[in-house]
Amino acid sequence: MEQRLANTLNMTVNEKKFIESALLSDLRVDGRRPFDYRKLSIIFVREDGSSEIQLGQTRVMGFVTGQLVQPYRDRPNEGTLAIYTEFSPMADPSFESGRPGESAIELGRIVDRGLRESRAVDTESLCVISGKLVWSIRIDLHIIDNGGNLVDASNIAALAALSTFRRPECTIGGEDDQEVIVHPPEVREPLPLIIHHLPVAVTFGFIGKENIVVIDPTHHEEGVMGGSMTATLNTNGEVCAIQKAGGEGVLQSVIMQCLRIASVKAADITSKIKNAVESYNTERSLRKIKRHNPSLTAVKNK
Amino acid sequence: MEAKPSSTSPSTFVDQLVVPGDVILDLSSMANQTIKLGGGLRQDGDSISVMKAGNLRFTKPNKYWVESSHKRYVPNAGDNVLGVVVDTKPENFLVDIKGPALAFLPVLAFEGGTRRNIPKFEVGTLLYVRVVNANTGMNPELSCMDANGKAAEYGVLKEGYMFESSTGLSRTLLSSPPYPVLEALGKKLSFEIAVGINGRFWVNASQSSTVILVGNAIQKSESLSLVQQKIYLEKLLKNIQ
Repeated sequence: MEQRLANTLNMTVNEKKFIESALLSDLRVDGRRPFDYRKLSIIFVREDGSSEIQLGQTRVMGFVTGQLVQPYRDRPNEGTLAIYTEFSPMADPSFESGRPGESAIELGRIVDRGLRESRAVDTESLCVISGKLVWSIRIDLHIIDNGGNLVDASNIAALAALSTFRRPECTIGGEDDQEVIVHPPEVREPLPLIIHHLPVAVTFGFIGKENIVVIDPTHHEEGVMGGSMTATLNTNGEVCAIQKAGGEGVLQSVIMQCLRIASVKAADITSKIKNAVESYNTERSLRKIKRHNPSLTAVKNK
Repeated sequence: MEAKPSSTSPSTFVDQLVVPGDVILDLSSMANQTIKLGGGLRQDGDSISVMKAGNLRFTKPNKYWVESSHKRYVPNAGDNVLGVVVDTKPENFLVDIKGPALAFLPVLAFEGGTRRNIPKFEVGTLLYVRVVNANTGMNPELSCMDANGKAAEYGVLKEGYMFESSTGLSRTLLSSPPYPVLEALGKKLSFEIAVGINGRFWVNASQSSTVILVGNAIQKSESLSLVQQKIYLEKLLKNIQ
C-alpha cells in the first residue's frame, strides 16, 4: 500500500494550479508556447532496423526484426506486421514489469492502427510463397524514459526503425521450385521494406476548465490534462487515424484546428525522419566501401 | 592498487574525488581523536572507507562526508527538504521526499501543535520541512519546527511551481557565496525560492512568466560551465527588457 503511494506520480497542488493558470497567458512550464513541439532527435545505431528517439526528456528505442512464417489463411499472400511494447519500470516507477498496463496497450494500438489502416508498409511485397511462406515483421518499442507524450515518440521510433530495416533477399529454387533460399547479407544486399508514406502521430492535450489545447504534453501536463487526442497524419496532410479515448469532450471546430496544426507538425517530423534515414543510409554505404576495399582501410589504419 | 601510506593525513583526500573502496583514514595512527562520519563513509575495523563516488568533504573540527549528485535522495537528519503530502493518517502525514521510503510527519510536529489544532493538508500539499530522524530500515521522520520548537520558515508553500533538480544542483543553490546564476537572476527579477536538499526547488513570483524563466534558467545552468552560464544569462536577461 505504502509502496504504491511512493511509486505514483505525486504532483503537488501548486504544480497543477500553476500549469493551468500559466496556460491562460499562453505559457508552459518548460518555456514552450502551446503549439511548440519539443526538440526531437533521432539516433541510429550501427545495426539496421533500430532507432533511438529523444523527444525532450522522453526516450524510446525501436527495434524491427523479420521472420519467415506461414501467412494467415484469409490473407495468403500478405506478410504480417506486429507491434510489441515494453514499459520498463526504469522509465517510470508507475510502470509495472510483467503484464502490460492500459497505457501500454493503448500505445501499441495507436501505433499499430496508424501503420496498418493507412497501409504504410507494403505487406504484399513480403510474400515469398503464396499461402506458405511470408515475412513477419515485428516492431519492438522500448520505453527508456518517460517524459510525457510516449505515443508520438514511440510512433516516430517505429517509423525510423522501419525505414532502416532490411530483410535478407529470398529466391525460390530447388528441384520443384518449392525450395526457398535465403541469401545471407554478405552474398546479396538485403532489401529495405517498401514504405508508401510515413504516418506521424501528433498528440494534443486538453487542460483546465477552458480546455486549452497544447501540443506534445509533458509528463506533468499529462497529470493535469482532462483528455487527449492523437491524430495520425502523413506529410500530404491525409488523416490516417484519430484516437480520442474518453476524457473531456471537444468541439468539432477544435478538432479541425488540431488537425490543421497536426498536418504542419507531421510534415516537419516526416522531413526530420527522412533526413536522419538518409544520412544513416549514406553512412551505411560508405561503411561498405571500406569493408570491400582493403587498401583504403590500410591507409586509414596508418 | 598501490598501498596507501599508513600515515594518510585527511588533507590528501579532502575535496578530492573518491570512489568506493578508497581508504581515507587510518584510525590506528590517530589515537585519542573523535571523528564524525556522514553519508557515504563507513568504518571497517581501523580504517574509514568510502562507499559511494563523490567528493570527500571535511569541516572542522572532525566531520567527514562524501558529496555527490543524484536524482534520488537519501535522507539525512538535519536536512531541509521539500516534501509532498501523499496521505493522511491519524498520527502522521505521509510525505514523499524523493527518498526510498515515504517519510512520516507527525501531526503534532508543528509549533504549538496539540491534538486540538491538527492542520488539514490535502493530498498534494507542498511542504518545506526538516528531517529529524533518518535510520536505515525505518521511515524517516520530519518536523515543521526548528530545534527550538519554533515554526521558523517551515510549513506549507503556497502557489508557485516546484521544479525537479539533482541533489548536486540543490546543494550549489544553497552554497555560500551565492550561486552566480541565482545572484544574476535576483538582480533583474524579484522572486521567491525555496530549495530542498532532496533535489527540488520551489519558485514563486507575481508573474507566471518569471517563475518559468527562473526555474528553467536554474535547471539549464547545471550543465553549463561558469563562462557559458554568464553568456546564457546575459542573453536571457536582455530578452526580458
